[in-house]
Amino acid sequence: MAIGVFTRAFDNDWIGPGIVSLAAVVGISILQPSFLSPFNIFVLLSAISVNVVIALGQLVIIAIGQMNLALGAIGGLVAICFVGIIELYGVPPVPALLIGLAIGILTGMVSGYTIARTGITAFIITLAGLQIFKGINLGITEAQPFYAVPQSVKDFGNLSMIGPVPWLIVPMVLASVGMWYLLNHLRIGRYILAIGNNPHAAELSGINQRATTTWAHAISGLLAAVAGIMLVAKLQIGQPTIGDDWLISSFAAPVIGGAVLSGGHVSVAGTFFGVVIIAIITQALVLFNIDPYIVQVVLGGLILWAVGINRWRELRVARLQEQGR
Amino acid sequence: MNQTVANPSIAADAPQSPQGRASALTRLLLSNEFGLAVLLLLTFLIFANTLQGFSSTFSLFTIGRQIGINTMIGLAMMAVIVTGGLDLSVGAIGACTAMFFGYLAQALGLPLVFAIPLAIVFGAGLGFINGITVVKSGVHSFIITLASMSIFFGLMIFLTKAQSFNQLPAEVPSFGKWKIGGLVSPLLVISMLMCVVLSLFYRFTTLGRSMLAAGANPKAAELSGIRTGHVITACHVLTGGLAALAGLMLTARTGAAIPSMAGQLGQDWLLPAFLAPVLGGTLLAGGRVSVVGTFLGAAFVQTMTSGLLLMRIGEFWILACLGVMLLLAVLTDKARQSLLRSKGMV
Amino acid sequence: MKTMKPIAAAMLLGTLASGAAMAGADTKVALVPGGPHPYFAAWEQAGKDAMKDFNLGAGDYRVPAKWELALQSTMLESLITEGYNSFLIFPGDAVGTNSVAAEIKEAGGMSIATAGCLKDPTPAMFCMGTDTGNSAYLGTKELIRVMGGKGKIAHFTGFLVDPNTQLRIDAVQKAADETNGAVTVVQVIADIDAPEPANEKINAYLAANAAGVDGIVTTAWVPAVVAAQALTKIGDKRIKMVGIDHDEVVLKAVKDGFVDGTMLQNPYGQGYIGSYVLDKLRSGCTLKEDAPWKSNALTAKFVDSGTVFVDAKQIDTYVDAMRGITKTVLANFEGNYLNCK
Repeated sequence: MAIGVFTRAFDNDWIGPGIVSLAAVVGISILQPSFLSPFNIFVLLSAISVNVVIALGQLVIIAIGQMNLALGAIGGLVAICFVGIIELYGVPPVPALLIGLAIGILTGMVSGYTIARTGITAFIITLAGLQIFKGINLGITEAQPFYAVPQSVKDFGNLSMIGPVPWLIVPMVLASVGMWYLLNHLRIGRYILAIGNNPHAAELSGINQRATTTWAHAISGLLAAVAGIMLVAKLQIGQPTIGDDWLISSFAAPVIGGAVLSGGHVSVAGTFFGVVIIAIITQALVLFNIDPYIVQVVLGGLILWAVGINRWRELRVARLQEQGR
Repeated sequence: MNQTVANPSIAADAPQSPQGRASALTRLLLSNEFGLAVLLLLTFLIFANTLQGFSSTFSLFTIGRQIGINTMIGLAMMAVIVTGGLDLSVGAIGACTAMFFGYLAQALGLPLVFAIPLAIVFGAGLGFINGITVVKSGVHSFIITLASMSIFFGLMIFLTKAQSFNQLPAEVPSFGKWKIGGLVSPLLVISMLMCVVLSLFYRFTTLGRSMLAAGANPKAAELSGIRTGHVITACHVLTGGLAALAGLMLTARTGAAIPSMAGQLGQDWLLPAFLAPVLGGTLLAGGRVSVVGTFLGAAFVQTMTSGLLLMRIGEFWILACLGVMLLLAVLTDKARQSLLRSKGMV
Repeated sequence: MKTMKPIAAAMLLGTLASGAAMAGADTKVALVPGGPHPYFAAWEQAGKDAMKDFNLGAGDYRVPAKWELALQSTMLESLITEGYNSFLIFPGDAVGTNSVAAEIKEAGGMSIATAGCLKDPTPAMFCMGTDTGNSAYLGTKELIRVMGGKGKIAHFTGFLVDPNTQLRIDAVQKAADETNGAVTVVQVIADIDAPEPANEKINAYLAANAAGVDGIVTTAWVPAVVAAQALTKIGDKRIKMVGIDHDEVVLKAVKDGFVDGTMLQNPYGQGYIGSYVLDKLRSGCTLKEDAPWKSNALTAKFVDSGTVFVDAKQIDTYVDAMRGITKTVLANFEGNYLNCK
């Protein structure tokens, strides 16, 4: 019986990555005690906070069975707009924040509406979006960063709330809980997952595909905007390069967390632990002075490993179902 | 990857039903390729007449050469899009192949007649690794090639320590500079030849037809006796080989094998790789390829890029222009398709 | 930077306008970096000033929209088509950009590899830039000096595909080796030329190892900014640091004492002097073969555009320091490197 409970627990998406995260934390802290120093926990939590929001931005699109290549471009555009209007027009941080978030939602909606209206795959529309948003970003900044980040914003990105817990964790928690609630308890979330599972069936059951797709991309854009502004706070500078390297990790974390890329099945908790694993590995590579030339190889191997695990679980579930029949 | 199965009626190799000559002509006139060719011709004429220097022999030579390289990159991606997959690692394969070729030709001093085929086989081998992993794991090629892109490129950088091979045999750089008839680059010729070969391949060989069938409707293909697993692996091998060829062409153009030729992780190739086939009418869902369209797509993108640069609209806005162009191209194509469908012409 | 440009220009205008009498309006200079980066921002003004001061036909700063070798090559080819004949190029790749430089030469133009070198054999006239190895070496020497001659150093640097990175790693090691073991390089963190990974890796490193490190040397723009921010945040003045370049964040950290100094490079001077030399070369001057060329790992024809260590005392006058260097290099250039009729 105990074994049965144990194996059944493995069918939860987040248990596997959770155990791996825990094991990694224990292992590294034995080898390198300073890993658990308050400052290191602070650093780790800051990195995780931003990356979870990024990963959730992709997660909602994966849930509906699409992909958003423009996630980073939206985040970068919002980041420079946010600092830009503060620097150039003297807008106070809070209105600037709202304008930034509005830009994120709007760009997401435009992508989503275009995809939903035309039926062209999200891959192409968001690839075009990536070029357009990044192009606007460079057109505005000419690759020069904006420096005028208000002190309050810098503090938010660099001060701790209590002990080693950074303020940056607040938007992360809000986004995670919000996303979990949305996917599990709201109609829009149910629609998103239904479309991801089987678009035709969803259509037949009367779900408005256009509206749902548009809203999913709007949520993705909002999260990209939040992550972009969090990075401005953390980096203390409005870098035009923000968002350039979100793509790989934004897919890797949900996949490690058990998300099915064809849609319909995602896990917020699993994604969280996916981000934790990537963050720990990034740190470990630095802490143990691993040849930087090999870092890319490790990251690629990690994705394959996660894919292998997911596949194994799928097969196992399928076999169990067959036996049950 | 919420891809609906391609409308079987527009699968390229659906047997041509015997129809009147007028209908065939209409169909040609309304085809994606024709629309693109007209657009290309118009753009070209406008630029040639308004932009100083655009039609100089030097300018035409460089544009043509770049079209040659981008076409090959586009064909590499097209070969795997056929079955509804994609390969993010084309750039990594290209760069790895170029460095492998540099190692063979420079460090080992192997004659080019051996080094070039070996390098292409090497690229095809990397493609085989992708293909077999995709088929065995059953995971979408997006994730597999996302991982293999990091692994291939990382290993290459690790092994070469990012050092270039710049003492290649003199034939390599002079091939890249060669102007046939003072105007045409041999790289463009190679790509055009490859277009012809691939067109014949998809039309007349069993394997080529199986690829299209497996892309249009995997289940039906499986039922009709096609081993889709093998076919998908073959697609990835073909992609690897074409990416290798593109890498070698770029090596000739650069005159050296350099690790950064496709950018960090080979990501620089992704845009041309997708732009050309998609503009050319290859369906991302699989089942329909347009080899000629891929060539026209690459030609259109390069003509626009060169034109925009000469127009001096501001370098930083070029990216946005290319994005808008891609969007307009797919939207027009979509509009054209629905027009055709509404008139019952397809 | 913003304040430096007009001052330097005005000063140079006064001292050197006389030398520009031979200038040809048919010299059309294009200043082309490898991609967008704040380092090159000063080139725009440098080109404009040179155009005005030396009566050039053009002195245009043209930036490829992305760090993409193919895009830079296409842009250079289209600039040749537009009729530009003099190029200051930051090579997108030390080897790969040679083929475009050859095309420029075949089209009757000339080019100078600027801020980064092309690998010999190269069709570029010569290379002018910061001697990256030397700058890293000098920076490390300064760091060792403020560390009191002993301790452990961490080195943060840029992209591994950039050949300069290996030169920098070697140079830092060399400076440490000269102390006969009193100073050791305990860690090199590379591939952090983008702010996000740089922020993560540098913070992670400092979080775990701050106690085991006495000094930090950074040899690329972004790592310098991030490390300066990190030290400011920790509020740790025990760890010594020498940065690079003139980002506002680094300069402020130097002023506040969290960073001990920065190795300034001379982008404005590179653009301004380079334009001047190209014009000279076009109006009949030739390069002296026996000139005091320096050599580095890439080329045997290298001109140092100058690098200077600035600490908190000189931070307010660093503009003058750079102006001084530009002036010196420019004043001596014709005599040292050129044969003019």
